Amino acid sequence: MKNIKRVSPVQLKSSPLKTEQKDNWDIVMEYAGEGDGPYLVDLSHKLRLDLQNGEINAITPFGIAIPDSPGKCVLQDGLLINRMNKTQASIYNLAGQDNVDMPDATGYTDVTESALCVAIIGQQVFAICEKLTSLDFMSPDYVAPFLFQGPFSHVPCQIVTLNKTGDDSGIILTCSRGYGRDMIHAILDAGDEFNLKPAGENRFRNWITRP
Amino acid sequence: MMNRLNHLPTLKIDTARKISFTYKGKIYYGVTGDTIASALFANGVRIFGRSLKYHRPRGLYSLDGECSNTCMQVNGIPNVRCENTLLEDGMVVAEQNVKGSAENDMMSFMDKLDWMMPAGFYYDVMHKPAKLWPVAMKQIRKAAGLGKISPDFKMPGKYDEIFLNTDVCIIGGGPAGMMAALSSAEKGLRVILMESRPWLGGFFEYRSAEYKDGQTLHDRANDLAAQVRARENIRLFTHTACVGTYNNNLVTGFQIGKKSDVFDQRYVEIRAKSVVVAAGCIERPLLFDNNERPGVMQIACALRMAKTYGQLPGTKAVFSIGHDLGLEAAIELHDLGLIIDCVADIREDGQDPALMQKLMDRNIPILKGWVAAKAHGRKVVKKVTLSSIDGLMTRTLACDLVVASAGVTPVTGHITVALGTLKYDGHTGCFLPDRMPEKMYAAGRVLGLNDAMAIEASGTLAGLKAAADCGAGSSEEIGKVAKIVASLPGPARGSKLVTAPVKGRKSFICFDEDATIKNIKQALAKGFDVPELIKRFTATGLGPGQGGIPGHNLPLYVAKYQTLPDVSIRPTNVRPPLVPTLISTYAGTNHTMFKITAMDQMQRKDGGIFRNIGVWQRARYFSDDFSCKKEIENVRNNVGMLDGSTLGKFRIHGPDALKALQRVYVSDMSKVKEGRIKYSAMCNDDGCVMDDGVVVKLGENDYYFTTSTGRAGQTAEWIRYHTRYDGWDFALVNLTDSMGVINLSGPNARKVLEKVVDIDVSNDAFGFSAYREFKIADTIPVRAMRLGFVGELSYELHVPASYMQSVWIMLKEAGKPFNIQNFGVEAQNVLRMEKCHIILGQESEQRTNLLDVGLGFLWDRTKSEAKTVGAVALRQAENDPARLKLVGFKMENNGRAPKDGALIVDTKVRGYVCTARDSFALNEAVGMALVEADLSRIGTRLEIFEDECGDDRIYGTVVKMPFYDPEGKRMKM
Amino acid sequence: MALTITCPICGKRNGYEFRFGGEEKGPRPEEEGLTPEAWCDYVHLNKCVAGVQEEWWCHKDGCGSWFKIHRDTTTNLEKEIKTVIEEAGK
Repeated sequence: MKNIKRVSPVQLKSSPLKTEQKDNWDIVMEYAGEGDGPYLVDLSHKLRLDLQNGEINAITPFGIAIPDSPGKCVLQDGLLINRMNKTQASIYNLAGQDNVDMPDATGYTDVTESALCVAIIGQQVFAICEKLTSLDFMSPDYVAPFLFQGPFSHVPCQIVTLNKTGDDSGIILTCSRGYGRDMIHAILDAGDEFNLKPAGENRFRNWITRP
Repeated sequence: MMNRLNHLPTLKIDTARKISFTYKGKIYYGVTGDTIASALFANGVRIFGRSLKYHRPRGLYSLDGECSNTCMQVNGIPNVRCENTLLEDGMVVAEQNVKGSAENDMMSFMDKLDWMMPAGFYYDVMHKPAKLWPVAMKQIRKAAGLGKISPDFKMPGKYDEIFLNTDVCIIGGGPAGMMAALSSAEKGLRVILMESRPWLGGFFEYRSAEYKDGQTLHDRANDLAAQVRARENIRLFTHTACVGTYNNNLVTGFQIGKKSDVFDQRYVEIRAKSVVVAAGCIERPLLFDNNERPGVMQIACALRMAKTYGQLPGTKAVFSIGHDLGLEAAIELHDLGLIIDCVADIREDGQDPALMQKLMDRNIPILKGWVAAKAHGRKVVKKVTLSSIDGLMTRTLACDLVVASAGVTPVTGHITVALGTLKYDGHTGCFLPDRMPEKMYAAGRVLGLNDAMAIEASGTLAGLKAAADCGAGSSEEIGKVAKIVASLPGPARGSKLVTAPVKGRKSFICFDEDATIKNIKQALAKGFDVPELIKRFTATGLGPGQGGIPGHNLPLYVAKYQTLPDVSIRPTNVRPPLVPTLISTYAGTNHTMFKITAMDQMQRKDGGIFRNIGVWQRARYFSDDFSCKKEIENVRNNVGMLDGSTLGKFRIHGPDALKALQRVYVSDMSKVKEGRIKYSAMCNDDGCVMDDGVVVKLGENDYYFTTSTGRAGQTAEWIRYHTRYDGWDFALVNLTDSMGVINLSGPNARKVLEKVVDIDVSNDAFGFSAYREFKIADTIPVRAMRLGFVGELSYELHVPASYMQSVWIMLKEAGKPFNIQNFGVEAQNVLRMEKCHIILGQESEQRTNLLDVGLGFLWDRTKSEAKTVGAVALRQAENDPARLKLVGFKMENNGRAPKDGALIVDTKVRGYVCTARDSFALNEAVGMALVEADLSRIGTRLEIFEDECGDDRIYGTVVKMPFYDPEGKRMKM
Repeated sequence: MALTITCPICGKRNGYEFRFGGEEKGPRPEEEGLTPEAWCDYVHLNKCVAGVQEEWWCHKDGCGSWFKIHRDTTTNLEKEIKTVIEEAGK
């Protein structure tokens, strides 16, 4: 058939230097002028699952135990599992194998298409965040990785803080796909003073797989 | 330009770096560090503007922007507080409320007409006859007011916002605030310190008096500031005025940007676990005749002009003060070269003997128990008359500066807006904190303290208490510091003088609103008895200064001069913003946050005209013809494509999914069959219809359903709310943004679709009301429904959002031979209206129930065990004759369609038009209306009243619904 | 917003994130034998206490759950929750 393409809700204005094609997505691995951080990386093509089940504690998606209390997350084998409430968790395939099979247990829904997903990484991440949300990332009560379900630039989001120390700081943010244009604009606008630039997936891969 | 004192350690200016600006069309120069006010003063400007009502000349008074005296227009922005605004290169400054100039104002005769304007005169006069008021209003508005703004004014500048969380928030960067910050920061807590001036130091910063062991207060302030800056866990916001404190210790303020910042002003919102208020004091204005004449200024204003900005505030001064700070200022200013003719001290005794000795050493005469009674000079001060407090003796002295102050007054707004209370304290004569809000502590001069050590210790104590609220520190430590505070000098005795012995015709209690002592007397004479009412009747304290000038004097005056026994001294309320704040600062960055569909860009390319509809931006039209004739006719005759992606889409699964559906949908959802779609509706507990959509069964206890666009955001919470007691096990997944929706409609729709998909789409294989799942090109999964919202053969294709563009392009390609065209939301609106398919919110409002709109057939009465939301109310409403009915109508005599929302009337309102349009398919205007039951019979004539139609009416006739294709053949073909 | 609400899942958050769900009135009554008056009272009659009230909130911008809190309507502050929170749906 003709040119079947998948289009990300995140459209970044920088010029791609290197792209890869995967499952009909054109994935930018590197952009021109990525700067020295902080970086904004589009991860909207990464598989994301919603899991809701009354017996959720008995389920181990991809062999990984789901954290027992809401707000806690686990990153293992490139898969991020976020406990949302008593019966719900979200699963992001950030750096795991491609084409993982949908798990068998009931209650999974593929929600990759529902939300945009970006990573914001680098030292000034939380200086950007405080311009857009009153969520308290820097509270010592929250130890990374942790999940916030709350507003970011007035839009309900799921935000996972994977690291909150210095250059290694970084968050994964998802929100309704429809907000793609305005959310990205708001983030880039807030990050402008810190030199936030769009970056390709290589930058993210290096960060998530660092020792 | 005057020579600055440039050897003082306290200076905040750099005289070597000049800045040019424009004032009244001419170039002037200031220096780096100047405020606009200090630069103008250095250039000899004494009259900064004219007052609101009387056009009296006004000048520097407090230097902290507590009144509108020095509000000016800067770079086109009106009402800029020039005492708080740093001078920048190229600023264009203009005076306000003048006819001519501030120096020579042609309206200054108004000052003589004050007898015409007693307190509350605008309530008493000019309202009879009623015709007079508009004329009078115009004249008053011309003569009175401060800055001017044009309706098309666009605020320049960049405004930002920041939302912070902290353990302790400290308001005020003076000695108490800094000590509080240090003591709570030592506990390892997160601390935020806000200071309204551009630098730390507060009450110590500009003073050269001794702190301890030969160190000046100024040096001590610098020491503390260095310690504060060295702490990583103290986040410092200077030039950040706190404008509000609220419940749960929410603190708001605004920060003025520096050159290096990306914003001009930034809204700052802080959620703190505990708060320390160390906002210090302002001075209580001295009430005497012409007490606001340029040349009259408060102690700190005169002193800071010299110490901070290197300018002597005058050449020859008379002091009329009631506080040791006045004596200290007189000594300092004398030593800097100001001639001081005399210091009149309200107090008979109680002065600091050391200060008295210093005054004697300098041969500065001091009159105890004396006070300024009148300032002379038409525009600026030339002389001042001093009087003994009893008014029996007077002396008049020539001078160009009167330093006048009745004492100090704590800045307590941060406490009272957070619902803390104040109590009048007889010893200090001040309102001091009484009951503090939860987890908020006062420190420093707010407590009435004056002694440097006591101020600092109280700061440490407040910081420790605030830290304890965050779970850090020990009660022993707090006890220890509390003991130290108790051992230090407490609040100093304050002067009790309320007003100089004058009649007060020209003694101004409120500068912003030109309210005098005489006005207060008039209000009292009219029977107003509490300050809160007098404040409103006389407008005292209602100006931009937010009560800073009159806040303390008004209640004192009212209490003292009421001829009633037992009058308590009660302060008036203050409200946020505590400091004048730009609306644009509150607005902040104000990002546009709308949802767009996956088709947004392509539709824009095709000429789509977009509108904000709820949270979405949608293509409403595809041409400038807003009747959408072409779009509509193309759907009726060929085939059209609509982006329906905004529909709410959900998956519900889990063991109790069906139970949940039975609860919220009025129909019997157990009858939903796989492969078929079921249309149903949700009501609220009043039976009013909230939502409609279709439900598809994917498997056992696994359903996919749609909601209207506007309801998508609330659907999950709605279902959870109505099942919140049941403990059912079901899961909802919002797939609204996950799936794009293309509505392919028109007689040629099948011909287009069959070119794109591999399945059989014939009417037999995929009939009306059927549901199919298939893949396009073995890749793109599609959920397809045969619906008929627009009354034609229609396929609603639900496609993963990322594939939407590809599918759209395929359909467009395939549809070319059949003249496929986009159609927008308005075309859909007309098409479905012709079919009398309702849109909730258009054919319903919040009181409209399921039966009113003719959807009663959806309701299944046999499932009372499901406790369906709305069922009980529907049963009760069924026989209610008073309900409105939805009817169709056409216009008489081929008339045009009425506007949506037009009223159906006879002698009273009988209903309203929901949607009406000129129908191209029918060649006449048709519509739907909700009318009282007795108007719902076919053939009834409807009298229609439109906005501003006067006595003209248009008429319609109730006809059968639907108007178009009544048998419904076209959508089932 | 000054108001804060403590969500049992997400913790204390800004009041903007929540939707008010009315006073606690107990489960929906059985429809059998229900009089119109009793029904109207259940739906519309509120106690509107000036003081501590048990009420429902939905964390609409967060986890989406419905839960109950105790709030002093005179101060708009939450009170220590005395009973075990029952969550709805989750």
